Formats: sequence, structure tokens, C-alpha cells
Amino acid sequence: MRRDAAGRDAVRGDVTLFAVCVGLALVALALPRTWTTALTATIRRTALRPAVMLQARAAEDRSARFRLDRIQASRDSMSLVLQEDALMRRENDQLRSLINLRARLPRPFVAGEVIHRPLPTDPRTLLVGIGTGQGLAQFDPVVTADGLLGYVWSAGPASSAILTWAHPEFRASSVTGDGRVLGMLAPISAGEGGATLLALRGVALRDSLPLGATVFTSGLGGVYPRGIPVGRVISVARDSLGYERIYRVAPFVNPGDALHVLVLTTPRDSTFLPMPGDSTP
Amino acid sequence: MSHLWTGEGPIRRRRSDRAQVALVIVILLLLEFYLRPSLVEGKGMPDFLLLSLLLLAIRNSPGTAALIGFIVGLVMDVLTPARFGANILAHVLIGYGAALGRAVVFADHLVVNAGLFFIGAWVRNILVLLLSGTSLARLGAEALMWAPLQGLSTALVGVAVVILFRDWLAIRIE
Repeated sequence: MRRDAAGRDAVRGDVTLFAVCVGLALVALALPRTWTTALTATIRRTALRPAVMLQARAAEDRSARFRLDRIQASRDSMSLVLQEDALMRRENDQLRSLINLRARLPRPFVAGEVIHRPLPTDPRTLLVGIGTGQGLAQFDPVVTADGLLGYVWSAGPASSAILTWAHPEFRASSVTGDGRVLGMLAPISAGEGGATLLALRGVALRDSLPLGATVFTSGLGGVYPRGIPVGRVISVARDSLGYERIYRVAPFVNPGDALHVLVLTTPRDSTFLPMPGDSTP
Repeated sequence: MSHLWTGEGPIRRRRSDRAQVALVIVILLLLEFYLRPSLVEGKGMPDFLLLSLLLLAIRNSPGTAALIGFIVGLVMDVLTPARFGANILAHVLIGYGAALGRAVVFADHLVVNAGLFFIGAWVRNILVLLLSGTSLARLGAEALMWAPLQGLSTALVGVAVVILFRDWLAIRIE
């Protein structure tokens, strides 16, 4: 029998410690999501804050070292687009002033680097090196240059967790470009090798979508503003009950490859401005 | 009195051993939290936290290894909050299994150590996916493609660490 320095049965001690650890892990698995979200956010902003800050710094260094060319190229093409759109924006401003229409609400954003982890569940939730200190709040939508990525799941002072479209709990109300067909997007395992795609559900049987149609956020629900591109219809799925049409949508953004994100902070399009002359606080 | 054994020598040696092992772990943590993310990202990258757990597990008793696995799993669950508790349980099982296997089966051989790192990363990924409620189709793709790739990269780095720090880690290589 193996004994420790104090002469106790070491094997029994090991088994007890193992059982306690497994028991605590099972308790952790059974905890409600609200508790675990608060617990992980607390640990991230206290004990693991140095690790998160170090990783955020590493992500910034990587961007500066390896992505500078791409950043410059996208900035150049963006400045060209802005120059070409300047005339149209001026016309738009004139038209708005003619009918006494207030200017569109600006859509403020905060940019951040994604901190990836070498784990198979990484694409479902991502960590970003920005938080409430930069103006982020829970449920703020997160986008990349290509389209919708997800929303802020929990926000700490210097880091935040993002729930991406690949998470089983993701839902987004969506609409086609012409505004004709509405539906609800949710993740499904449907691609080759069980790859995660989105399913557009709730489309009425009288409506149909062509393959290749682009799907946008509808603005309903109050989380995502209207008009963020989400993905493209790639195939039709069968509804076993025959009550609705279901379309498979290939999202534009791959969460596993996302490195730089924009978090859209309030106010959003769904926020109502006070009426002119309204003096109520 | 001169030939009385006071025990100071071995205690001092144990302390220096612990300091050397702690230094190796600090190097691995720096690799995990700064060097790897500042150079390259993507699936299949070596997992230095898991490597730290396995290196500590083969030096400690199974109970202590389970406790270290609990801490490593908690860190991973906090930094990758897919399903809280999945990483904790997976790493407790991996830590305990590695320490138990080391005590019962493993020999001091470089290939055996490499195999331990490979299987540890592979099984850990499958356990985490299973406990996170991943679909069977996705699980199959991960188990056959990405998990072995990460196991391989972790094993390669692990072998390099064992060769470089074999004296500090007190690992005999036959």
C-alpha cells in the first residue's frame, strides 16, 4: 500500500481528491447560465486579467506585424469608395434638408482584436480585448468587414465574450434584400463534415427565395440593427411537417478566422430620438 | 555531530527542483498567452496549457494531477466560455489519467512521452466537444481531422520541451 509522508493511505487520498474534483466539475456543468456568465466574467476581470491583457497585446502585435499590408490596402480602397460616394451623400443631405428630415443617426462602434484559444469550441464564443471601459454593453451587435458575427455575451472592464452565430443559442430575425421575405436564423449542423451553417426558418410556404439571395438582419428584436449582411442562401431544407420553408444560409463571416471586429454601440437605428420641442427629461 | 544527517541537502535540492519546474511552466504559460497568439492563430496549434498539465501530471500523484487539471480546465472555461464545466471535467480526467498511467504503465521513453501528449490532446478535444453538446457529425470531423492535428503539434512541442529541460523536469529518456 502506498503511503504519504504522514503515513496515510495515499491511494485513498488520490481517489478522494479526484472524486471531489469530478463532483465540482459536474456541479459547474449543472450551474445555470446566468451564474456561470457572472462567475467567468468575475474571474476574467480579477485573477485572469493579466493573462487576458497579455493575449490582447499579443493579438495587437500580430495585427501590426502581419496584417499591415492588408489594413493599408483596405484603407486605400475604402478612401476611393468614400470619394466616389461624396457626391451622392451631398445630394442625400440636400434632399433631407428640403423635406426637413433629420440626419440619420450615427452608428458608433468600437474596434477590437479577437483573442483565439486553441480549443475545438473556440468558434462558438470568442474573447475580445475590449470591454465596458471602451463603451461596450451586453447584447451589443458584433460585426466584421464581411457581415454579422454575433453579439456581446458578457462584458468586463477590459475584455468581453462574444456569442457568435455558431453558438447553439444564437438567433437573429432576418430579411431579404428586397424586404419581401422575413425569417428567423438559427445554427444547424448541415455542411460537409458536420460544418455549422445557419437555417432560415419561418418562411411562409407562399414565399420562395432564389439560391444565392443575400440575407440581412431585419432590425426586429432590438439587438441587431437592420441591414447587416449575414449570409447567402445555398440550398433548401425540408420541413418534416410541411408548415414552412427552410433555407440553408452560408454566413459571410467565419468565427474561427475573425481577427478584427467592430462592436456597434448604442444608439442604434431602433433607438427613437426625442421629438423636436419635447422638453420632458 | 558532523556525520549526523540533517536533511538540509535533499530539502534544498527539492526546492531547487520545484523552482526549475516552475520556471519551465512559466515559459510554457508565456508561450501560450503571448508568443503563440502574437505569431500565429488557427486550429491545430499546440496547446501549451495542456502540455503544462501533462508535464506536471507525470511528476505528481494522481490526486494532485486531478487538482491541477481542475485549475487548468477552469482557466480554459473562463477564457473560452462555450459550456462552463466542460473543460474542467475533461482536464480533471486527463490529469488523473496521465498520472495514473504514468504510475502504472508508462516507461521513461521519449516516444512514450510523445504518445502521452498526443493522446492527451486528442482525448481532451473529444471530451470537450462531447460535454459541450456538439453534434455527432461535427464530432466525427473534429475527432478525425483537427484533434489529431493538434495532438501532433502538441506532441512535437512536448518532445522538444522534454529534450531541452529533461534535467530540470527529472525525466529520464531511454
